[in-house]
Amino acid sequence: MISEQGVKDFLHAGGYIADDAIATAVFLALRMEKPILIEGPPGVGKTGLAKALSTALDFPLVRLQCYEGIDEGKALYDWEYGKQLLYTQLLRTQLDNYLSVSSDLREAVERLSAEESLFFSKNFLVQRPILRSFLSEKRSLLLIDEIDRSDDEFEALLLECLSDFQVSIPELGVIEAKRKPLVILTSNGTRMISDALRRRCLYLYIGYPDLEREVAIVRVKFPDLCEDLARQMVVFLRKARDLTLRKPPSVSEALDWAQVLSIMKATKLTPEVVANTVGVIAKHQTDLQKVTNLAVQELN
Amino acid sequence: MERIIAGFVAALRESGIRVSPGESLDAVQALALCGMEGRRSSRQLLRLTLVKNVNDIPVFNEVFNRYFSRFHYVDPESDLPALMDADIIGMEGGEFTYLNQQQGDDHDDHGPLLKLDSDISPEDLAELKSLTEIDPDDMDGVEIVVQMKGYRGKAKKPPKPSRRYTQNPLVIELDKTGSVGCGVTFSPEEQAAMQDVVSRMMLRLRKDMKRMKSNQNRGKLHVIKTIQKNYRHDMVPFQVALRRKRREKPRLVVLCDVSFSVSHASRFMLLLLHTLHNQLLDVRSFIYNRDIAEITEMLANMPVNDLMETIDTGDIVDLDENSSFGQVFLKFKKQYLENLRGRPAFIILGDARNNYGDANDFVLDEIREKARYMLWLTPEDRDSWNRGDCLMDLYGSYCDRVEVVKTVDELSLFVEDLLRDIYADRADPLDRKKIIAARAAETYDSSDYYHRGSSAKSEPVFDPGGRSKW
Repeated sequence: MISEQGVKDFLHAGGYIADDAIATAVFLALRMEKPILIEGPPGVGKTGLAKALSTALDFPLVRLQCYEGIDEGKALYDWEYGKQLLYTQLLRTQLDNYLSVSSDLREAVERLSAEESLFFSKNFLVQRPILRSFLSEKRSLLLIDEIDRSDDEFEALLLECLSDFQVSIPELGVIEAKRKPLVILTSNGTRMISDALRRRCLYLYIGYPDLEREVAIVRVKFPDLCEDLARQMVVFLRKARDLTLRKPPSVSEALDWAQVLSIMKATKLTPEVVANTVGVIAKHQTDLQKVTNLAVQELN
Repeated sequence: MERIIAGFVAALRESGIRVSPGESLDAVQALALCGMEGRRSSRQLLRLTLVKNVNDIPVFNEVFNRYFSRFHYVDPESDLPALMDADIIGMEGGEFTYLNQQQGDDHDDHGPLLKLDSDISPEDLAELKSLTEIDPDDMDGVEIVVQMKGYRGKAKKPPKPSRRYTQNPLVIELDKTGSVGCGVTFSPEEQAAMQDVVSRMMLRLRKDMKRMKSNQNRGKLHVIKTIQKNYRHDMVPFQVALRRKRREKPRLVVLCDVSFSVSHASRFMLLLLHTLHNQLLDVRSFIYNRDIAEITEMLANMPVNDLMETIDTGDIVDLDENSSFGQVFLKFKKQYLENLRGRPAFIILGDARNNYGDANDFVLDEIREKARYMLWLTPEDRDSWNRGDCLMDLYGSYCDRVEVVKTVDELSLFVEDLLRDIYADRADPLDRKKIIAARAAETYDSSDYYHRGSSAKSEPVFDPGGRSKW
């Protein structure tokens, strides 16, 4: 069985630099078969972790993007009314024959209701992401993205799925997961997630990475960027995060910036370079000014 | 090991972190799976399994450090007998006991000591090794002590309820003497407190909001959408699409005095609205002193503290002037009154001290025609309303209500009340009755039952001009 270090290594191979906390969380989630709830500022690699894991572990990724108003018809399962109707139409003659045997109406109804389960069988069930990941033959990775965007009702709906890995369908009964998927929930913290859901998960907070890890992340993604520039860049970004910006530059911004710098073939960070590329790291007008000012202060 | 974890969980609960038994089981399972290879990784394991909220992480770290700080490891094979002799290890069956509960406060100098029970095994001790912070000066210790600094025994201190679940009213004084005036920005705590007030308010309002929203969704049948939606069902209308009624947030217009005398109150008002904005309101905010300016955009786009600083510099409205309600109303009428849409509710915050200028109260009459509701909030007590240059009585006669507001709690209550009124206004007649009844039940105060109605002052007086007295 893989160890924590093993988790780190295979994530690294998948292009994701994990710190100890992340590796431990993944390791535990795999061993204990519990979901991980990841919180943290936008752009620190919450969804990225799920993607990296899915490629590294070779689990097919099943993604459920949450939004306001998502319900079980979109997340768990739905009935294919159209197909059900079509079948009843097509089978009409068959049904007539079948029912003509019965002498009176009561018997006909009984005969028909005995076959009811036919029309509420798995043939007519549309699998939505959660059910699909439960029924997948291979162990899958279920990513429930931005859970904070959904409503309270939806959260309550998830409780059964996440604690017991089963889905209750009134017409069919309880469907249990064939292989328990690795579940990852992400949240940007725009809304408080209920304690009931938190209790069922391992809680992982991913903040901004430390200097070395961020340099390593940039280096892994853009190996042709020289080490000095990457370091200089990250140091600058870390200072920018200390300013009170409306949208502090995150790891994803760091990667975008690294790409821009490597396209521009920059070798050193100067106030001019920053001024030209500031749109990549600052996303608000007031922030632009603050970041350019910082560049003039720091880089001269 | 289970006992150590149980003790640690108890310590966490003492500090206000809610940990369920299920989570402590998870922690034990996790430790068993990973083993405890050092302090850092153990801490991570415990944090992953026991803490479910970012805000609790600092508290967790503190408790962890305290709980496992003076925990010295002894090689179980060689030193176990010596260990057993050590007087601080009490051998008692089955449970944790705290020494200082038995021996009073004798142990105050090194804190209460945790006794380990008799069925402790060498394996357990070995597992505990990793939790010890290795201190080179302290290596020769032969005691096993789990110390909890400052802990005075369970009997003396009832467990603190977790912060998120307290319902105590939160009181922030608005009229802080000495701090009134320029240069007021909000500390993170104040902002957090405000968030707290607002979220509690939202919780209380949620029912009303839901009712209103579901009402708004219940329109007439939308034929085209219904057909589109049921295309795959052979046009059999399984799913019905309804026309959405016009969905609108309640509109609110707020005028805040930022002059010296009431600045603190208006700042909190602004912060309150800033937090409320977008959630359930469509607010237009104005600030005034001698001049009036709209700050809706700025409120939405700037951090609150920046905005406060900008206001303090006097760039938006000049702060050095004396406030003049007459002029402000006139200017408001000229610039903004025409383009106010949809019968907003008005809140005016100010002391109505006009510095002996023209009252121009006819503008208020015009505003009243446009407004659904008018509320005047003043930080001054009723006694001083007619003293000096205060025009509260005159202005107040145009308003539906005039209230004295001194704390954030009062402020939020009035705003909540106003919102409820607006929701009740929108709701079906049936729902309206329910909302009003629910509120009456909530706010019914039986303490002054015998004295109510005895004072003639509170009687409404008929006014031929149609203005209400409060």
